[in-house]
Amino acid sequence: MRIAPRRVARLTGIAWTAATALALLAPILLAAGGAFSHAAFYGQRSEGAPVETSADLFRYVLRIWGEALLHSAELVAAVVPLALLLGVPAAYAFRRRPFPGARWLEAAALAPLAVPGIALAVGLLETAGGVPRFLLLTAGHLAYTLPLVLKTVSNALAGFDPGLEPAARTLGAGPFEIVRRLLLPLLVPALVLSSLLVFAVSWGEFNVSFLLATPLLETFPAALYSTYTANSFPVAAAATVIFLVPVVPALLAIQALGGEEFRRGLQA
Amino acid sequence: MLLALPLLLFLAACVLWPLGRLAAAAFAGPGAPALRTVLAAGRYRTALLHSLFLSAMAAVSAIALSLVPAWILARERFAGRNLLRTAISLPLTFSGVLVGFLMIVLFGRVGALPTLLALATGRPLLASLAYTPFGLFLGYLYFEVPRAVVTLESAFRRFPWELDAAARTLGAGPFARLGRVVLPIAAPALGSTLAITFSASMGSFGVALLLSRRFSVAPLEVYTELTGFLNDAVAGALCLVLALLTLAVDRLLSGGQE
Repeated sequence: MRIAPRRVARLTGIAWTAATALALLAPILLAAGGAFSHAAFYGQRSEGAPVETSADLFRYVLRIWGEALLHSAELVAAVVPLALLLGVPAAYAFRRRPFPGARWLEAAALAPLAVPGIALAVGLLETAGGVPRFLLLTAGHLAYTLPLVLKTVSNALAGFDPGLEPAARTLGAGPFEIVRRLLLPLLVPALVLSSLLVFAVSWGEFNVSFLLATPLLETFPAALYSTYTANSFPVAAAATVIFLVPVVPALLAIQALGGEEFRRGLQA
Repeated sequence: MLLALPLLLFLAACVLWPLGRLAAAAFAGPGAPALRTVLAAGRYRTALLHSLFLSAMAAVSAIALSLVPAWILARERFAGRNLLRTAISLPLTFSGVLVGFLMIVLFGRVGALPTLLALATGRPLLASLAYTPFGLFLGYLYFEVPRAVVTLESAFRRFPWELDAAARTLGAGPFARLGRVVLPIAAPALGSTLAITFSASMGSFGVALLLSRRFSVAPLEVYTELTGFLNDAVAGALCLVLALLTLAVDRLLSGGQE
């Protein structure tokens, strides 16, 4: 029996793809599994508190890193709306009302993607060390999330007819009506996608946050570093699971909305 | 214009001004001593070269590994495709410390692989692989493969396959088509994928923070200068060189697009 070479190539390719996915998933499953396996399996523990069951583990992590979790949530809650407020009107201006220097400004907004997070964090510390840290953290996160908003909204704007707004104006719609009844409804998918992208990046951001964090204002990824270096494996595993809980649904939603803008991901 | 004003103000105050200050600090003093220290032979230059070497190796390897999955995800229809794509893009949301932790779980002193190998062979094999330069490379590869797959997939989807088909009807063989049609058209996409993965590695800090032992990389040196020696000028100069190197390679590879 002869198998068509085209079929062999296809099956090999699919197997390769599945192997790649598996290689990327395996360590995550191993690490997360640590939070759900028998505590005695890992031998000696460094924690003083009794951590026997998985529930104990999660309680313990929430007790020691609850503050950090809260700070990350607050930061995300500030960064998502601010990124939209700054990014969406600018993306509209870039695509529909080009002005002198617009290209330059857009390039400058995308530039942080190629600037190491630690460089921007050092720069922020040197220029505005006295500013409340929460503001500095917000600024750093905005610098790395705005490019995602700009790209998502630009792509969406490129996808529908630029003649719609002039048409609405001829029909007597004022600027507010155009925004409310034409642009916003058309941009809803892009706005949802942007929010999810900003959320995912801000939630996991470490490079800027770690340098700008203070003992009183630590983000959850910075707490993860402390846990990885100081706590036993089951505790580190439980903290990792807590980190992943909001990320996975956000990622599924991003995939469902076709988030190709995410390809740069966040700086590791 | 007015619509982009908030963005302009933000960028000026929170990106350009801080980075400008960094550059100014690096050049401060007669003969820019901080910049000289960083560029002179020694630990800083070594760390910069390590960063360049590691990032380049990881970027090229990640792309080599990602061509087939990206092609399959872009061109083939099969059950479970979306599942595979989601699994592959999950690490895009991981910060470096998480990747470092995963490498320790896999290849650390009592990681999964060394433990399995010890059970199978009775000898400690590959123990502490995670803390070697190769372990660092594996960590970089871990967060770059998803970036490369996602970027290449979107490039393959937009690829004008009818040109390839036209070349075939005109009698071109597979190698002629690859060399004279497919590669020239795909070159910009490959370039920008290289740029994306390369700059992600150059800025990567968390992986090295957990894994690096003697083999230092530039972002790690910046951190040590700042927190260990309180040497702001050298840290700033190092940041500046790192940022400029990254931006220059990015520009070069993506040919001014993006």
